[in-house]
Amino acid sequence: MSSGCPPQSPAVAKSEVAVEGECPLLAATFAYWDNILGPRVRHIWTPKGEQLMFLSDGEVTFLANHTLNGEILRSAECGAVDVKFFVLAEKGVIIVSLIFDGELKGDKNTCALSIILPQTELAFYLPLHTICVERLKHVIRKGRIWMQKGYNIISVLSLEIIPIMELLASMKSHHVPEDIDIKDTVLNDDDIGDSCHEDFLHKAVSSHLQTCGCSIVVGSNPEKVNKIVRTLCLFLTPAERKCSRLCKADSSFKYDTGLFVQGLLKDSTGSFVLPFRQVLYSPYPTTHIDVDINTVKQMPPCHEHTYNQRRYMRSELSALWKTDSEDDIPPETVIHTDETFTPDLNIFQDVMHKDTLVKSFIDEVFMLKPGLSLRSTYLAQFLLLLHRKALTLLKYIEDETQKGKKPFRSLRNLKTDLDLTVEGDLHIVMAFAEKLRAGLHSFVFSKPFYTSMQERDVLMTF
Amino acid sequence: MIGSPDVVAFTKEDDFGQADPDPWAIPEEFSVPLSPISDSNPWAKTSYAKFTKDFILISEFSEQVGPQPLLTIPEDPKVCGTFDLNYFSLRIMSVDYQASFVGHPPGSGYPRLSFVEDSRVVLGDSKEGAFAYVHHLTLYDLEARGFVRPFCMAYVSADERKIMLQFQELSLRFSQASECLKAGNRRAFAKELQRKLRDLEYTHSVLQREEGLQREAGTQRMYSAHAVEKANELANVEKSIYEHRDLLRQISSYNKRPRRDPQAVSCQRCINECLIECEQLIDKYAKLARPFSYNDKDETGQAVDAGGDEEGDDEGVKRRPSYTPQLIKAKSAKCFDKRLKTLPELCDVTFYDATVTLLKDTEKGFRGDLCYLHTQRLDKALRRKQRVTNFLFEEDLGDDDEEDERGTLRPFCAVNHAVDNYTPLNPPHIVLGTEPLVLDDLEPPGPLNPGHTSEAEPGLVESHLESSPSDPTLETQGSSEGNIGSFSSDKSGLDLAEKQLNRAKSQAADPDCELTNEPDMERESSSEDLETTAGDDDGDGTPVSLLEVVSELEASREDECEGITDGASDILIPLDSACCMAQEGFLYEASPAERAPCVGQSSNSQSPVVNQEPQALLPLQNDYTVGSPGSESPATGLELPVGLLGDAVSRTSLEEGADCTMSASTGSDRAASPLGYGGVVTLRQRKKAGQGALKFVRQYPFAMQALWCLLSGRTLVVLGADEGRVRRLVSALALFVPAPGKCGERVQAWLSCPFTLTDLQRWKLIGLQRVASPVGSSMLYSLSRYSRYISILDVDQKTLRCPPYRGQLLANIADHRTSIRRGSTFFLHLQSTLCEMAAKAFLLTFTHHLHLPVSCTEGPEGVEGRRRCFLQGQLGLGHEDSQILLYLSQLVTQHYLQPATGGSAAATSFTFNYTTSVLYKI
Repeated sequence: MSSGCPPQSPAVAKSEVAVEGECPLLAATFAYWDNILGPRVRHIWTPKGEQLMFLSDGEVTFLANHTLNGEILRSAECGAVDVKFFVLAEKGVIIVSLIFDGELKGDKNTCALSIILPQTELAFYLPLHTICVERLKHVIRKGRIWMQKGYNIISVLSLEIIPIMELLASMKSHHVPEDIDIKDTVLNDDDIGDSCHEDFLHKAVSSHLQTCGCSIVVGSNPEKVNKIVRTLCLFLTPAERKCSRLCKADSSFKYDTGLFVQGLLKDSTGSFVLPFRQVLYSPYPTTHIDVDINTVKQMPPCHEHTYNQRRYMRSELSALWKTDSEDDIPPETVIHTDETFTPDLNIFQDVMHKDTLVKSFIDEVFMLKPGLSLRSTYLAQFLLLLHRKALTLLKYIEDETQKGKKPFRSLRNLKTDLDLTVEGDLHIVMAFAEKLRAGLHSFVFSKPFYTSMQERDVLMTF
Repeated sequence: MIGSPDVVAFTKEDDFGQADPDPWAIPEEFSVPLSPISDSNPWAKTSYAKFTKDFILISEFSEQVGPQPLLTIPEDPKVCGTFDLNYFSLRIMSVDYQASFVGHPPGSGYPRLSFVEDSRVVLGDSKEGAFAYVHHLTLYDLEARGFVRPFCMAYVSADERKIMLQFQELSLRFSQASECLKAGNRRAFAKELQRKLRDLEYTHSVLQREEGLQREAGTQRMYSAHAVEKANELANVEKSIYEHRDLLRQISSYNKRPRRDPQAVSCQRCINECLIECEQLIDKYAKLARPFSYNDKDETGQAVDAGGDEEGDDEGVKRRPSYTPQLIKAKSAKCFDKRLKTLPELCDVTFYDATVTLLKDTEKGFRGDLCYLHTQRLDKALRRKQRVTNFLFEEDLGDDDEEDERGTLRPFCAVNHAVDNYTPLNPPHIVLGTEPLVLDDLEPPGPLNPGHTSEAEPGLVESHLESSPSDPTLETQGSSEGNIGSFSSDKSGLDLAEKQLNRAKSQAADPDCELTNEPDMERESSSEDLETTAGDDDGDGTPVSLLEVVSELEASREDECEGITDGASDILIPLDSACCMAQEGFLYEASPAERAPCVGQSSNSQSPVVNQEPQALLPLQNDYTVGSPGSESPATGLELPVGLLGDAVSRTSLEEGADCTMSASTGSDRAASPLGYGGVVTLRQRKKAGQGALKFVRQYPFAMQALWCLLSGRTLVVLGADEGRVRRLVSALALFVPAPGKCGERVQAWLSCPFTLTDLQRWKLIGLQRVASPVGSSMLYSLSRYSRYISILDVDQKTLRCPPYRGQLLANIADHRTSIRRGSTFFLHLQSTLCEMAAKAFLLTFTHHLHLPVSCTEGPEGVEGRRRCFLQGQLGLGHEDSQILLYLSQLVTQHYLQPATGGSAAATSFTFNYTTSVLYKI
């Protein structure tokens, strides 16, 4: 290049991603603030195949550049990832941008990873926003390390962009409807034993509620799986239902981190392999329900789950930091270990805490005649009770601790005063409260680094 | 597949808290914190924000000074604290959201107005702990660069999740505010354009005349430099006229363009009106096509209004002050005075005020912690699905359910058009959607007919007291219908009309009400005006139809003021249902409290409830007067002098009762909402009462017994000398009264006269004044007389007389050792418990086999036994606790079968049992 010419604009690389079904995502972009050229788009990902609307590369580039407007003023702390959410009616699009700082060619730049959707998908996207953002945030953490090392960030970002496209496409076709007809659920059976024998339904619902409404349902029969998925979704809010997915009849979806309830089909060998990392990265602990053998297992409660999750994240990022070659992107399935952390693969445990709330509800609801909407009403009353109990518990702790300024030392009193002496009941209500106030478990139980399994081991030694 | 459930413990020691000695360890900025701040304090995330609570900020990108904050809502500077509004305005306005989308069509000679849709952005400053929903909009200003003034309205909060979870609600609210501002702005802009056109036309005519004079003065083939200059000036003015005319055409076609924003909220009526306006403006162009009509002006140089010939026919227009065109230096439309208008000037003060009011409402609506807002909304959605039991303990969902189903998203129109006119292009997604009410589909089950319950419960049938003409209470019954007004306190005896007047006044005083209430009749007449004056101008040349919206609003305001002075007669006028928003405040609808007397009277005449007291039971009353079996001295009881007065008093009391009746007949309606003073008992009032309830539970060890009385349907009389104290206690205890009614009709907060048996059927909680006068003695007589039906809580003596309660159901809400500190927390706890009871009552009511024989050979005893077994075995309830559920179930049945009268207006069967009362003391 002759010295008299202006610097040539770098070409925008583009990847077309084959996604099954209708993908509501129009494009994903990675842009950065070039100190000479201003906002520049580095890479575009677009789904291949049918799309709701078409955006030309020029429009995508324009929109991506647009996301960096005003970021010259950014004064965030190093490593912070800020989220911007645009609804641009003029273009008929919504853009979700994650703004972060990263090192490119030795310079510190402001970067933006964005996804673009049609504005008509706003209602579809909004409930899924947190899931997408959290997943993208983590891949950005990995990408920043890669940038720091001078490697190409695009390969790292692709690790999450493509699954997110697949997630959105699968949600488009298999999301649980906001209004579930109770007739499509187990709660419409004439008798409790019709489709759920013994204590299975009680255990499933109880554990499902104890794990903040986050469950995976696996089985060989898609109808059976979906019936349980819908049943569990009855206990969720409408917004949470929109973050739940039915299982596909012919082949299984992959497990997706962050969904509340998802149905997964076993393969021909009768097994389903759960990716450890993704399950651990779920915002809440998960209940595992196998409808073939009627088993219910659950992950440790929220505070332990969060602690394990963060340790694993740190371990994963640390492993990436120590990688010597750009080709050594650690595959997702490898469990990262180092000298200080060995993750426990047996994250699913038996349901330990018995409750009375769900037990009596399940017993009683089948006393009401099906088909008259009596059961729906009774379910609404049950959910109202749980939501109110959760808010009462939250307020109680808030009063006791002056909004967290003082440590909480009166769990015993709380149990007595709020009629939560049964452990299972307390866990259910705490799970509801956790969703309202993140971090409540850690605050109340205050031993995040002690797992329940460790406690059990300690107890067993006596 | 998941592995073995065997426990595999961590094999390594936990290094938590230890410094990592590894030099190759990942720096913290590339990792994640092991213990995020929310773990140590879940409330901490908002603590580092520099403002104390959420607020709304309106900012402008001024072409003169750059981004600047204009207004905050609330305006209190303390709210923003040390938060740098200038910097934040810079940040939110620097999102160059629209400029690139607007363009000038190539080849267009005229300036183009860019009709850009609003854009919405959520962004944050993680360092400052401030996040905002930012709604960008563009207003038009003839004097601004490109005729546009970019503004934004931002909802600023320290909680990012709060904004994202409520994005659609915020978006709708701010869209409404934006539409309001823009509607006012278009009107102001059109007005300004027309003024400018008049100035230009006037200037043009002056120049043309001057040029003509010069032409006449000069030679035919020679033009002086001055003449050429004049000719150029004239051409400029003509060009400017065409430009402005085109701008006017553009702005008037605003509503014709297709909207690209599916989230935009538009009022159908506004759109229709605007279409009419457009037609008028097209006519106007035709008139303005003769821009040189000023040649016809008189010699004094005074302009004749261009449309004067038409307007002269309209007397209404003649009254309006006319605008005098001014001579301007016509160079370019952009080179006029550069003083930028303020926002109220840009939008017309009326629309600006309406917008600010709307934003204030928005700020109030979104105020508070997300978890409370979120739960509140879920709570409401779930309660809508259980209408059959809501009447028991829940506050009224109101008649505005449909409105609520749209969430807090009721569309707002600056000119108060009816809600039905709104057509959101894409109905906003409400996150917490509701299922349609399904219980209404329930067929009224045969076995649950009114007679069934009483048949199925022989005990209850037996306890129904039959009326007898010989009962002395029958004579006093009439008194109970009307004597409250005279003997209750003034507070509870507000005259009905006066209350209505007060309500109207309060509504008029309410700025929201001022904006939303517009009598439809007035609007109808406005519509007529619109037709008759179509095409006319007001004095300044703005089409009447453009001004109509404002005049409507102003007229409605004036009318409201007049309406207040007109008194109650006006507010009773039924209004056109087409304008529901306008009617809400004005349409008088008798509340259940006000309807109660009629309902009560008619039902009393037919109801199977007690109308008289069996004479055979009278001796039992004397038992009461001598105190409880356990008390040796009458003085240790309620200190009622009844026993001392003996039968003589009982005779005289009848006469006194008759006096009461006579004086009561002149009084006001006794049933008029004693608790809420005529209004619906609100959640706020109930929460406040929670504090009193907690105090009561802590203070009185026998609180559980009192609550059991209330929950099992036994009337509780709170006796005391101090009105304030009794009232406070009554309002606290009212929380426990099942089916208290919309306005608390089943609670009499303060009664100064003797009550009768009918009163006991009507009221389940009575605050009774203790007086020493003869009236007082008759009151005490009535207390002793009806003692088997009532429980008496003496606040002066701190005693309670009631049947003993040994159940467990209430142990959790009436434990005087509770550690719950705040009334609001206790209220939440109470709500949960009562909600649970209502659910169990629902279950009991609608479980078929508890009411129906399972085989034709089974008799009622079998069903009764099954029910008993259910209560004891399934629900684990003892006798007293079962009574609570049976009573609640009875109310649910009655409410379900007679939803019109419900559990509030019509009383249930009057029952009692023979259990001896016990006196509880502190």
